[in-house]
Amino acid sequence: MADKIAFIGDSTSVAGFRPLGVAVFPVSDSAQMRAAWDEVARGGFGIVFVTEPVYAELADEIAATADRPVPAVTVVPGAGSVGGVGEAKLARAIERAVGTSALIREEEA
Amino acid sequence: MAVLRVNPNRMELLKLKRRRDVAVRGHKLLKDKFDELLKEFLARIADSRRLRREVEARLARAYGLLAVARAEAGRTDITQALLAGEPAPLISTSERNVMSVKVPEIEAGEVPQPGGYSLGTMPAVLDEALEALAETLPLMIELAAREKAIELLAAEIERTRRRVNALEHVLIPSIVETIKSVQMKLDEAERGNLTRLMKVKEMLEQQRAEEQGSAG
Repeated sequence: MADKIAFIGDSTSVAGFRPLGVAVFPVSDSAQMRAAWDEVARGGFGIVFVTEPVYAELADEIAATADRPVPAVTVVPGAGSVGGVGEAKLARAIERAVGTSALIREEEA
Repeated sequence: MAVLRVNPNRMELLKLKRRRDVAVRGHKLLKDKFDELLKEFLARIADSRRLRREVEARLARAYGLLAVARAEAGRTDITQALLAGEPAPLISTSERNVMSVKVPEIEAGEVPQPGGYSLGTMPAVLDEALEALAETLPLMIELAAREKAIELLAAEIERTRRRVNALEHVLIPSIVETIKSVQMKLDEAERGNLTRLMKVKEMLEQQRAEEQGSAG
C-alpha cells in the first residue's frame, strides 16, 4: 500500500527528514527532478512533499495526479524559499470550485 | 433556444413531457449535491489555511536551526550525520466517501527517533533541529491529507456545476420550448380540423336546402 512519504527538494531542505524515515530525493537540476518524480510516480508513496522550485518545474506532472486519491502532492517551502506557492495552489483549487477566490479571503480575514 | 426536431404528434408530446420531468428531477438532485459539496468544501478551507501557515512557520524555524548546526559542525559532517535512516512506512492510507468523492484518509504513524550520529561530535542544536522537524512532520502529513481532499472536492464541484448548468440552461429550456411548439402545432391542426368540419357541414346543409327547393 501507499504508506511511505517522499520528499523531493534541494539537498539542504530534504536532508533533515531522512533520519525521520522519509524517502528523500535530493535534486539540483530539472533532469534530476524529473528522474526523482518518475521514481516517486511508480508508487508506494501516499504523500509526496515537494519544495517550491520543484513544484514550479513539475507542475504539469503534478496536476495529472490531482484527480487521484493518492499520492497527495503537497508543496512546502524549502530552506531559503519565500513560501506562498502552497497558498497559491490552494487559492487555485478554491477558484476552480467557487469561481472566485476573493469571497473566501474576505470571509476568513 | 433551439427547438428539438421531433414529429409534432401526441406520442412525442407525452415523451417530451416525461423527459422534462426527469430532467427537472435530475437538476434538483444535482443542485442539492452541489450545495452540499460546497458546504463541505468551505468548511475545510479555513482549517487548511491555518494549518498551512503553522507548518510553514515551523519549517522555517527548523531550517534555521539546521543552518546553525551546519555552521557549527561543518556542512560535510552534518550531511554525513543525516545519512542515517531508511525510508519507513510512516502513514497508512484509506479512502473515505464524501458525497461520492473518494477522499484519502491518512493516518500518521510513529515518527522514528532521529539518531545514528555521534552525540559527542555533533552540536546540540542539531538535536533541536531534528526534534523540531519530527514535531512538524505529523502536521505536514495532516496538511497533505487535507489539501488533497480539498483538491478532489474542488474537481468534483466543478464537474457538478457544469452538469447543473447544462441541465438548467440548455437541456430543460430546449425541452420546454419543444413542448410548446409541438403543443401549438397540435392545437393548430385541431383548429384546422374543426373549421373544415364546420365548412363541410355548411356545404351539406346548403346542398340539402337546394335539393328540397327543387323537389318542392
